[in-house]
Amino acid sequence: MAPEPTPPVPREVPALLLGRREFLKGLGAVLAALASPFTRLRQVYAAARGRFFTAHEFATLEALCDRILPADGDPGARELGAATYIEALLTAFDQPVPLIFAGGPFSNRNPFPDNATGTPSNKRPRDAFRHFIRLTRWQRLRWRAEIFGSDHVAGAAFNDVAAGGPLPGLRQMYREGLRAVDGAARTMTGAPYAGLSSDQQDAILATLDRSVFKPDARRGMSFVDVLIQHTLEGCFSLPEYGGNRGALGWALLRLEGDDQPLGYSIYSAAKDGYNERPDHPMSTPNPDELAGPRALSPDGERIQQSIMTLATALSKVFGE
Amino acid sequence: MPRDDILGNRALRHFDVCIIGSGAGGGTAAYVLTRDDARQKVLVLEAGPNPFRGLDRQPHQPLPFPLHGNDELKYAVRGYIQQDPFLEPRTFRIDDTSEAALAGDVNSLPKAVGGAFQHADCKTPRFNAVDFRLKTAMDALIAANPGLLVKGFNDEPANFADWPFTYDELEPFYAEAEMLYGVQGKAGDNVFESRRSVPYPMPPGVPMYFALRLADGARGVTLPGYGPLNPHTYPAAINSRFYGDRPPCVDCGLCSGFGCPNNSKGSPAVTALRRALLSGRCQLRFNATAVRLVNEGGHVSAVEYVDDTGRRQRATASAFMLAASAIESARLCLLSPTPSGAVLGNTSGQLGQNLMFHLQTTVSGFLPERVHGERGRAVTHGISDFRGVAPDGEEIRLFTAAGGKRVALGGICEFGASQGLPITEDGDIYAFQLPGPLGARMGLPLKNALRDQALGQHLFGLTMQAEDAPQRTNRVDLDPRYRDVHGFPVSRITYKSHAYELATRKFYIPIMKQILQQAGAKGFSVSGETVYAFVRPREALLGAAPTSRHIMGTLRMGAERTSSVVNPAGLFHDVDNLYACDGSVFPTASGYNPTLTIIAVALKIAHGIVRTPPAV
Repeated sequence: MAPEPTPPVPREVPALLLGRREFLKGLGAVLAALASPFTRLRQVYAAARGRFFTAHEFATLEALCDRILPADGDPGARELGAATYIEALLTAFDQPVPLIFAGGPFSNRNPFPDNATGTPSNKRPRDAFRHFIRLTRWQRLRWRAEIFGSDHVAGAAFNDVAAGGPLPGLRQMYREGLRAVDGAARTMTGAPYAGLSSDQQDAILATLDRSVFKPDARRGMSFVDVLIQHTLEGCFSLPEYGGNRGALGWALLRLEGDDQPLGYSIYSAAKDGYNERPDHPMSTPNPDELAGPRALSPDGERIQQSIMTLATALSKVFGE
Repeated sequence: MPRDDILGNRALRHFDVCIIGSGAGGGTAAYVLTRDDARQKVLVLEAGPNPFRGLDRQPHQPLPFPLHGNDELKYAVRGYIQQDPFLEPRTFRIDDTSEAALAGDVNSLPKAVGGAFQHADCKTPRFNAVDFRLKTAMDALIAANPGLLVKGFNDEPANFADWPFTYDELEPFYAEAEMLYGVQGKAGDNVFESRRSVPYPMPPGVPMYFALRLADGARGVTLPGYGPLNPHTYPAAINSRFYGDRPPCVDCGLCSGFGCPNNSKGSPAVTALRRALLSGRCQLRFNATAVRLVNEGGHVSAVEYVDDTGRRQRATASAFMLAASAIESARLCLLSPTPSGAVLGNTSGQLGQNLMFHLQTTVSGFLPERVHGERGRAVTHGISDFRGVAPDGEEIRLFTAAGGKRVALGGICEFGASQGLPITEDGDIYAFQLPGPLGARMGLPLKNALRDQALGQHLFGLTMQAEDAPQRTNRVDLDPRYRDVHGFPVSRITYKSHAYELATRKFYIPIMKQILQQAGAKGFSVSGETVYAFVRPREALLGAAPTSRHIMGTLRMGAERTSSVVNPAGLFHDVDNLYACDGSVFPTASGYNPTLTIIAVALKIAHGIVRTPPAV
């Protein structure tokens, strides 16, 4: 899916949270917009809010995410919206309530149980996940430090000396990381990363991983580590966070994802006991495995084997 | 104080008691003190935010649903109500010979209205009768059995002690706790459970499939000299029926590590604390981090706290109760020097010491069919045979092993499985924890393993919550280098496993492996606090900090002021109006999940203050 056109200016116009350089660029956008009719101004505001990457950066990011979790018969990270998720995190503070903690208790994806009969009802809750939770002063400080860096947020540098340096902000990590990947692609092939074949993209990512990109002292993660972590988050977290488009990430895993308020066992007042859902039983095997276990892929088998090998070796070390 | 950060009676200005912490200890004490038969005016300070809108709404209105949801990102990644490792880190070291390293999560517990229990799957077994007189019972056993060696039991730094009251004296408060919090269970199901005066308030809910497999496996395994193991349903403060105005559990699966979206978990906020808030005699201020007890040595006059505007505030009361959990309660004392510069309440020299975590040992394997651990209450069954006591829990068991007679006081063993969390279980382990070619960092190998949920749908096993020896050297003190966001020194945790619990671990591991084999596991492996072999190999090699979430000791309760910090009533020996009513007062850890005992002890202490009987 192509990214939306991105204006060549930064994003949030009341840019108190941004660095000075970005603030000045933001100011430029406002001045430009003031020359337009009022409706135009609102469009600029709307378009600018929630965007951090340039169109080119966004295309590079989408290509990278799709190498972490590629498309095959099932959707990959591009189709699942991982890059949109990442941008939503980096621009979390563009919203009146920062997009850090989704609300509760329920989405509208599942019905309420009918406890008289012990069956699903026809009633569905409203989606409360969309209404993000207002942050406390300290949560705000913590998540701004995560995104902008502990040395760019007032009051967040309190352990920077003891810990051997500031917590690098995610915005800076992405900006520099994407530039490095794209630069390497241009040096090696003469073309931007997003335009390369998936084999070339894989080769470049593997080359840079753990050689060019090193874990930082504070987070203990390299740019590629952060990219993998956020790709997983963007594919499998609640759709309300901006990724997992159409909940297809959960479908890929054959998980229901969030399942409240229905859940898996439904209390029935009529029998003073519970009904289980035949398609998703709790106390018995899955219906598709009654005749025997479903086979794993060679990769799944290998992972289980790895874990057993490693664990056995470590147990021997500890004499257990 | 931001006006929005208050629950309960906002008009109250003068308080009889100020409680620091709103969880299982503090919320429970607030309930007792504000009852109609006690009528105390109580101020509760809670450091964390409030996920419970309308918690102080009047009882004729239904209890509103909270801000909790089925959301892996919010809890397991972003730590919505967790003590934040950036804002309030801790440091960890194994002993005094090494410098403590910054380790964000050193057994950190959630900070929020209602405390840490809301984040658990609310398992609530009782301790055994013999646990309350373990030192006496063990010494008698050693005297009666020449050659019986209990490794290190009576040698420093091990510091075993009896509790200052018996199981029988605590039993009425256990019964009250189970009623108040709404516990499901089946009397007689666990043959090792000690005498109970009342049945469980609710029957057990639906069992999980893999738990039934493990229970079958356990029945086919023999404990040396004592016959087959005895699997049982696991008591938990989770509704299996409508209970008051809270609905039955729907087994949504995001239970351990998550707040409950429909209030079927009987966590403190929606049980004890809510009753206190509805009494009209309780005011709760949240986002209020206590940072100092203002004192004249033997008396506390006020508590200073930082509110959500960043301002320092002061609250006064006639008496104060520490209920911030064992590490934080001790830290607050350490942050509150007396006028002469001593640590408040530390005549014994043991304040902050005898810190206990339980030694968790997990033995895991893979089941060929899908375990679907994403459906259920995380743990529905377990065995208590590994506590190492006789049926009824009155006496310690003697085993005859190759080297002669021995004891093996381990703990309850939970039957568990992966909860089916793709980001923090499968994804994290494939991409980050398994080194190099053993893992699947990216690309189709990662996707294939994720799609299989090679871990998430196949990993199951057992976790033993074994008693760890209280040791004076295992302790919390103030870190010399690192600060929290408010500028105060963070907790430095020094903790090393004792030969006592390591020997017991080795004794039971082969039996745990047999259970897994009997249950049909393909392959098995061992992990635990000293050996993170299974899910966290990287941390294992780095000596990662404990994450058992069971935190006890630091303000030991006892009759003697030379060897304990608080007296049997929970009052500091040397501070005339300061109490402790959380896990900090435990003299020993037993081998069961501690929260029900925290609640029962808080009930006993609070009823003692106002001289009221337990209300069952």
